[in-house]
Amino acid sequence: MSIEVRGISKSYGASQALKDVSLKVKSGELVALLGPSGSGKTTLLRIIAGIEDADPGSGKVLFDDVDVSSTDAGKRRIGFVFQHYALFKQMSVFENIAFGLRSKPWRERPSNGAIRAKVEELLTLVQLQNFAQRYPNQLSGGQRQRVALARALAVEPRVLLLDEPFGALDATVRRELRRWLRKLHDTIKVTTIFVTHDQEEALEVADRIAVMNNAKIEQIGSPEEVYEKPANPFVYAFLGNYNLFHGRHDDTPRGQGSGAVTFVRPHDIEILRENPDGSAIAARVTHIGFAGAAVNVELVRHDDQQSIDAELSNQAYRALSLKQDDEVFIRLRNSHSFYEDYAI
Amino acid sequence: MAGAPTIKVQATDGQAVRRATKRSFVGRLLVGVTVLFLTVFVVLPVVNVFSQALSNGVGAYVDTFYAPAPNPDAKPTLYERLKLSAERGRVERTWSSIRLSCGVAAIVVPLNIVFGLAAAWAITKFRFKGRVLLVTMIDLPFSVSPVIAGLVFVLLFGRGGIFGDWATNLEWSDPTSLTWQGFTGHWWPLAFARTYDGIIFTPLAIVLATIFVTFPFVARSLIPLMDVQGSEEELAAISLGASGWRTFCTVTLANIKWGLLYGAILCTARAFGEFGAVSVVSGHIDSNDTMPLRVEKLWNDYDMQAAFSVATLLAGLAVVTLIVKSVVEWKTSRTQAAEPPEAGELR
Repeated sequence: MSIEVRGISKSYGASQALKDVSLKVKSGELVALLGPSGSGKTTLLRIIAGIEDADPGSGKVLFDDVDVSSTDAGKRRIGFVFQHYALFKQMSVFENIAFGLRSKPWRERPSNGAIRAKVEELLTLVQLQNFAQRYPNQLSGGQRQRVALARALAVEPRVLLLDEPFGALDATVRRELRRWLRKLHDTIKVTTIFVTHDQEEALEVADRIAVMNNAKIEQIGSPEEVYEKPANPFVYAFLGNYNLFHGRHDDTPRGQGSGAVTFVRPHDIEILRENPDGSAIAARVTHIGFAGAAVNVELVRHDDQQSIDAELSNQAYRALSLKQDDEVFIRLRNSHSFYEDYAI
Repeated sequence: MAGAPTIKVQATDGQAVRRATKRSFVGRLLVGVTVLFLTVFVVLPVVNVFSQALSNGVGAYVDTFYAPAPNPDAKPTLYERLKLSAERGRVERTWSSIRLSCGVAAIVVPLNIVFGLAAAWAITKFRFKGRVLLVTMIDLPFSVSPVIAGLVFVLLFGRGGIFGDWATNLEWSDPTSLTWQGFTGHWWPLAFARTYDGIIFTPLAIVLATIFVTFPFVARSLIPLMDVQGSEEELAAISLGASGWRTFCTVTLANIKWGLLYGAILCTARAFGEFGAVSVVSGHIDSNDTMPLRVEKLWNDYDMQAAFSVATLLAGLAVVTLIVKSVVEWKTSRTQAAEPPEAGELR
């Protein structure tokens, strides 16, 4: 089912959480709302779910081109997954998953046998077949989140909304679960929107990413698009580490005050022992840090003492045989220039 | 490997660590002071209540609650007959106080459970203006002397009070006096045998005063609990299509049931034990006596043993309350204890 948000605003007292936000999600798509905390992404998700109302008269939420703005959350047929799972502590895993089915009005309520079959099917889907009689406090974080997902899927929602689903989990479990979520989405093909502040997670999992900042959507696009062609400095800065130079790259980022800023990712900085054509910048290595597969090198430019972060592969690092206080030259492989009127 | 040093693995769970901690002088001193204080101010008085009640033997204790049956063969003298009827009256008044106390608790506790739930719900699940003021208002009965609370009701509903005109003319039927009067001459077979005029100096005033004094217990025991739990589980239930009522019954109530029971227990104990407020509004009429008031009257009549005998009922209630409370606390901690998760394919 497709979802459309049209001109939604939301304010809490004096602070505005959403300013005239519009978003279209195609049927079966997996979209990430990515942004720093306080950017309004969770508010947008809650408004789509119907848990919160947008400011009166501000805009509409459409499911399959039908206005659902005034429909209760329970009638929108959504599946909502909370960051802290919100499982029913007093119920077993089985009863948690069956809750939505048992809550249906009695005319639509499936028989006990049908409920049992459905719950077992979902338990298999989330790989928790042997945990039906456990209670939430007997499960680990990742298991709880999968139960929460199964519970949301039990009512066959038209759309799945996940609020920072992996935010409370540790790094390894988080990486495992997001791959699993991607696979799950490819199997069940339900329209999914998930909120995250982790750019790596959004880039890896989503079909499209909506980058949010200051109550607005800054850019919507595929992971490649937002990463390779960021619309503005904020998007560039939020999607990864960066170096900032004043001036345009075309005339080499040297002089200040030329009205533009240039961003370069650390891995796009090339370190050279010699200056082949005179265009490279002279710098001195101030620190070398190992980070597993990559090596982080901190340098200082000779001309304006600006510090620069570079990321090298282990191989390149060994080929250069860098040491602290080495005098080297740097070149930018790939960079983005924005004019100064953007502020980040 | 011979000669290898054996390494003792230090237990890491809390209890073991606590056991391993060296018992310091300050720790012993504090434990000693606490035990001494409790013995002098709690244990000894309670033991005293029971020993005084039984000071004239078990027979006298039983006589407080059951008047001796008259001997049908003996011809009692006038003095003996008067003494016997006085004895009967005394026992009857004691039983009346027990009935009234139970009746008041039976009305007050359910009402305060509903009020307390509503108040705790409003305060923890909604954000509105005057929320802090409402929390303070709930605590008011704790900070106001119960005698003042009773006096407030007298000033409200008594003669010359703010609602005095209305209240003194109010006529209400005693619901406990409902009797079967048959169909002869009536189309409705049930009727109230007794009616009261006014509010002050009737059992209704006692109920009102007790509601006021015991109001905070349920709300107070629920607010911190519901604050911690937040409203995510309710939102989850609503988003799954559950109705408001079903959400309340299966999610909210299930989460707070032990806290609610805890509040209800404290509320019951106080409803039975309340003295000050009830004393002011009862007007010292014998039929308005609750158990604490009855204890006072017996004491003032120099009937120490009978006073202590009625007091044993209150003390016994306190002991039962303590036991139920401990069971509830044990239950609460047990449902919250987590078992370690089993390692699965995905964690």
